[in-house]
Amino acid sequence: MPAGAAIKVSGVNVFYDDFHALWDIFLEVGRGEIVSIIGSNGSGKSTLLNTLAGQLTPRTGSISYFGESIGGLPPHETVARGMALVPEGRRVFPRLTVFENLFMGSYTSKARKNRERSLENIHELFPRLAERQNQMADTLSGGEQQMLAIGRALMSEPKVLLCDEISLGLAPIVIKSIYQKIRQINALGLAIILVEQDITRSLKVADRAYVMLEGKIALEGKPCDLTEERVKEAYFGI
Amino acid sequence: MTNRFTKIKWTILAAVTVGLGTVPVWGSEYALLFFMLFCIYLALAQMWNLLAGYSGLISLGQQSFVGLGGYTVAVMSSYYGINIWIGVGLGGLTSVFLALFMSLFIFRMKGVYFAIGTWIFAEALLVWFSNWAYVKYGSGLFIKPTNDLSMEAIYYAAFVVGAGSIALVYILLRSRLGLGLMAMRDDDQVSETLGVDVFRSKLYCFLISAFVTGITAGIFYVFQIFIQPYKAFAIDWTVKLVFMVIIGGIGTIEGPILGALIYVVLSQYLAEYFSVSMLILGAIAIVVILVAPKGIMGTLQEKLGFEILSPRRN
Amino acid sequence: MEGLAQDILNGLLLGGLYAIVAIGLSTIFGIVRLVNLAHGDLMILASYLSFFLISALNVSPLLTLVAIMPVMFAIGYILQRFLLNRVLGEEMEPPLLVAFGVSIILQNLMLMTFTPDARSLMSDLSLMTFSLGGNLSVPVLYLINFCIALAVIAGQHYFLQNTYMGRGIRAASDDKYAAQLMGVNTKNTYAVAMGIAIMTAGVAGVLVGMTFTFYPHSGPQYLIIAFGVVVIGGLGSMKGTFVGGLILALAQILGARVFGPGYQLLCGYVVLLIVLAIRPQGLLGRG
Repeated sequence: MPAGAAIKVSGVNVFYDDFHALWDIFLEVGRGEIVSIIGSNGSGKSTLLNTLAGQLTPRTGSISYFGESIGGLPPHETVARGMALVPEGRRVFPRLTVFENLFMGSYTSKARKNRERSLENIHELFPRLAERQNQMADTLSGGEQQMLAIGRALMSEPKVLLCDEISLGLAPIVIKSIYQKIRQINALGLAIILVEQDITRSLKVADRAYVMLEGKIALEGKPCDLTEERVKEAYFGI
Repeated sequence: MTNRFTKIKWTILAAVTVGLGTVPVWGSEYALLFFMLFCIYLALAQMWNLLAGYSGLISLGQQSFVGLGGYTVAVMSSYYGINIWIGVGLGGLTSVFLALFMSLFIFRMKGVYFAIGTWIFAEALLVWFSNWAYVKYGSGLFIKPTNDLSMEAIYYAAFVVGAGSIALVYILLRSRLGLGLMAMRDDDQVSETLGVDVFRSKLYCFLISAFVTGITAGIFYVFQIFIQPYKAFAIDWTVKLVFMVIIGGIGTIEGPILGALIYVVLSQYLAEYFSVSMLILGAIAIVVILVAPKGIMGTLQEKLGFEILSPRRN
Repeated sequence: MEGLAQDILNGLLLGGLYAIVAIGLSTIFGIVRLVNLAHGDLMILASYLSFFLISALNVSPLLTLVAIMPVMFAIGYILQRFLLNRVLGEEMEPPLLVAFGVSIILQNLMLMTFTPDARSLMSDLSLMTFSLGGNLSVPVLYLINFCIALAVIAGQHYFLQNTYMGRGIRAASDDKYAAQLMGVNTKNTYAVAMGIAIMTAGVAGVLVGMTFTFYPHSGPQYLIIAFGVVVIGGLGSMKGTFVGGLILALAQILGARVFGPGYQLLCGYVVLLIVLAIRPQGLLGRG
């Protein structure tokens, strides 16, 4: 792993009011790495991503991003620093067109300058989006909306891409195509965190993986080191 | 332990009620006026609270029933020489009919639209009455009781309405209707699946509140002797009700009682400065909503579990 | 049928004024889901501010817009950022009641400061008309109102459709969470939206002050007009706001023609209530 991690999470605890959602999380993402986070519903995966993105503030612990401490920064500041989240359920803006959704992706002042070029790159990566530029986002299919959500996140010129369950509700052939794009995006130098319920696919593409259970890290390692046994144990908490 | 507390609670309540009911006996003229206004505002506030605090209906138009109830008494007594108390009762009836008519329109509306719908009706009534020859346009009408009416009699009427409104709300909330209301308050859609007829429950509450408001207003105007559209149908009534219930504690039975008391006390001090008083009411209400949205009694209930009149069955 | 054509012409032009009265309320309701019950009073506040400037500086009312617009924007921004943002939540009651409180406070402040006398923003334009041939004459003031209204509404539409901030406002209204992920500071965005809304209300206030007399308590009647326009025309549609304005104004003027001038307001209310009962999403609104 190259020196200086992209993201380093140390001893983070997150609460929803009184509910202890994340317990003492230690996690690292190296520059240009693909890291998978696997776990069942309620294991805290989305909470973790939301915390990284700044929607939640850790009660204790620290989050460092390329050496800078970002715990507690609001979302508009983390995205300005280059951390983009593709949210669970895609959440494209239904009453804006495809073009306007992408346009919104370059909202930060840094990203605005290169908007035209970024748009071209996205259109190359996802030709479908170029075709459907002027359609309302809510008329797109599930797979197209997912591409739009990813493209929109990429418009902010991130160095780290957080993906929350991008395969949810999509046909296998669409998922395959999307994961190909993930590889392409990673090849450009972005670190990627993939949160998934689908174990197989995300382990195939990851450099390292974490398994979460009930808000804690239950297992971590390189996919080649993680046997199906151990993963199942950690996933289901047996 | 709880038994003894309950006994003490009810004893105090009984004492207070008796005390309130006998003001004409022991109180000065000033006390009589003070507590009469208290009873009247109490009844009006209880009804607004029944709607906003328990039925999820924010009414910005209770003044429709205030004006209509008042004008019914005025017309009945001035033009037809009908006994004043029958007139008051008729005021309640006309208010119910108005509420029924209104419901045809506004019960199709949700939330904010409903609130503004009630306000629009009130404004429409204001314009109508101001232009109606039958009620002498904007110059107003006198209320002329056929027999001499003592201040005591008016007071007892106000007391009946005031105490009655509390009893009414209490009994209502402990009934099946009330149980449905409390379920609705927590979750509209879930309670519907459980068989609570949301629409009917809300409608009943709306009609009941109209009735009581109409009667209370009738008594108020018997006291005032004179009624005019721009005052009777003014939004000021709603301002006062909102103030009373928000500060006292929305969604509690005790809240409107406390709120009415605070209001009558304040208004005695601010009697000379009408605009300032409205301004202060508005400002206090805003601060309360920001800081303690459940009002005094509501916050007490939440923090200390302190309830005097609990609608909960145990 | 005498004067019917004139009434219709007046109604159409008045409709433009009603549209700009309503646009602020519509914007805020569509974006922040807040019904600003103080909308009418904020309009009248602008009328009074303009009145004050005219008395002090002896300028034409339209010129005061230069100062009024930024001031009203600031008022709207501050109101949203520091007061209303705090009560925005799941429940609909607190923002409604807070706005109600603000309305009452404003009305009484204006009453205390400016006295209950009737006021008007006088200018040479008030009485000018020009003839369209036949028996039709166009009151210049009404025409100016219509044109300014059109310009303001078109300007706002352009802003919301084409700028970063405008799209940010629309995005935040669609999905606050996702907008935040884009870097939109939603607290700021909502305040900007309110600033724009109150700014347009300010313009409406000046135009209204030039056209009709106003009192400290005139606010609510314009709130109801604004609400009527939004209900009739439908939410979230610039076209709808304009159409709604036209219909309401026509209903009032034709109603006054048939029933008498005292019933002008009443006819508007009745039309509004009927539309609310039959088609609450408005004639042009989305279902």
